[in-house]
Amino acid sequence: MNTTDENDQGVVFRKSTGHYTVHTNSREIDCELSSRLCKSTHPTADPVAIGDQVRFMDAGQGSGIITEVLPRRSSFSRPLPVPGQLVVEQVIAANVDQVMPVFAAASPTPKWGLLDRYLVAAEAAGLPSQIVITKMDLASGNDSLESDLDIYRRIGYPIHLVCASTGEGVEKLKQALRGRMSVLVGKSGVGKTSLMNGLQPGLGLRVKTVSSGEMGKGRHTTSHLQMFELGFGGRLVDTPGIREFGLWNIHAEELASLFPEMTRYVGQCKFGLSCQHDREPGCAVRKAVMDGHVSPYRYQSYMRLREEL
Amino acid sequence: MRNHSPASFGDFRCANCGAVVSVMHMLSGVNNRNHCPYCLWSCHLDLYSAGDRLSACKAGMKPIGLTLKRSRNKYQADSRGELMLVHACVDCATVSINRIAADDDPEAILSVFQSSLELVQHDFYSQQGVVMLDVEDVGAVHAQLFGQGVLA
Repeated sequence: MNTTDENDQGVVFRKSTGHYTVHTNSREIDCELSSRLCKSTHPTADPVAIGDQVRFMDAGQGSGIITEVLPRRSSFSRPLPVPGQLVVEQVIAANVDQVMPVFAAASPTPKWGLLDRYLVAAEAAGLPSQIVITKMDLASGNDSLESDLDIYRRIGYPIHLVCASTGEGVEKLKQALRGRMSVLVGKSGVGKTSLMNGLQPGLGLRVKTVSSGEMGKGRHTTSHLQMFELGFGGRLVDTPGIREFGLWNIHAEELASLFPEMTRYVGQCKFGLSCQHDREPGCAVRKAVMDGHVSPYRYQSYMRLREEL
Repeated sequence: MRNHSPASFGDFRCANCGAVVSVMHMLSGVNNRNHCPYCLWSCHLDLYSAGDRLSACKAGMKPIGLTLKRSRNKYQADSRGELMLVHACVDCATVSINRIAADDDPEAILSVFQSSLELVQHDFYSQQGVVMLDVEDVGAVHAQLFGQGVLA
């Protein structure tokens, strides 16, 4: 076996069950996990995530064994429910610079409650978010889209309106991605992979049309996580469509502070930091909603998420 | 208007009288049970439309009177319209009109109507587009609550 004395280092670019593609010095190594690393976490939890810096033993012929995951500077996670057992953490991507929640202007209809979940998860991870709205060619006739997006513009989230088929907004999106590691998240069928193909012509990633039903549901075409090196600089993680997105390691008491527009009111309630912003008298957050400083839709998202925590 | 799924609420305890209220459509005949069938108090939960549950006020809403909702159905038994409850928020004074549910206590509704006759703010509510029923509507109210020809 052609092993090296010192463990090599690389970045995980792709993973599917039990197999990891690690990039190092312009080489691709197909790796598996060492048994020690496997035993270090819950059996259903994956200790390695896309974007992880790892040490591996080169076993020759393009294969290797990952022996260590180096400390992460950031991670974007969700809970992974294990039937009959505790919920474990699923790291969607590690060492991320920004999160890009992707929604289609139409087909499938945007679910703003899901967007609020992504934004809260990103805030909790200390990551900035930029919202991407795809399929803008289908936006005509959807009068409410702009007013819905204004809610997020007012909060300060950057919004990119793009159309992969016409190229609208793609150049501006490239600027936002340049030099950073970004992760695309969104439901199946919103056009994440089409967007990847639009950003990096030549990738030739497989895409499908959404189903023809009224809701235009996606067909779960992308089935694995993969990171791509962008030709104009930066890295982008494409994820399979996520139907449900829970919140990982977020406590009810801190939830309001993860809504940037509510942060300034937290602690100003009659009951101070103990206020749950529900029916308590003298609640500054509820007053801000009634005075028009916080969107009632975002407040409703807050209440829904709070019920889960 | 933002496309969102309204929050679903289950059975609840009335914040005013403490009664447990079922939201079963079979009992109430309405889709959005928004007031107690016993004391008729409501809670300020809706903002733009019935059942949207977008209001952050959440204060109690007192039943202050009755009004009629005009119907486009010209074959309706009472062409004057459907009897509706008028609620006013005790905190922010928002007024809303709500359908009377099948299991609402008719005596309590009549009591609200009788109390509303002493209300001096009818003009204030009419400015908000709510025409409160008055003393000349006694017959119509009795007819809708207890049936035609029944007048106490």
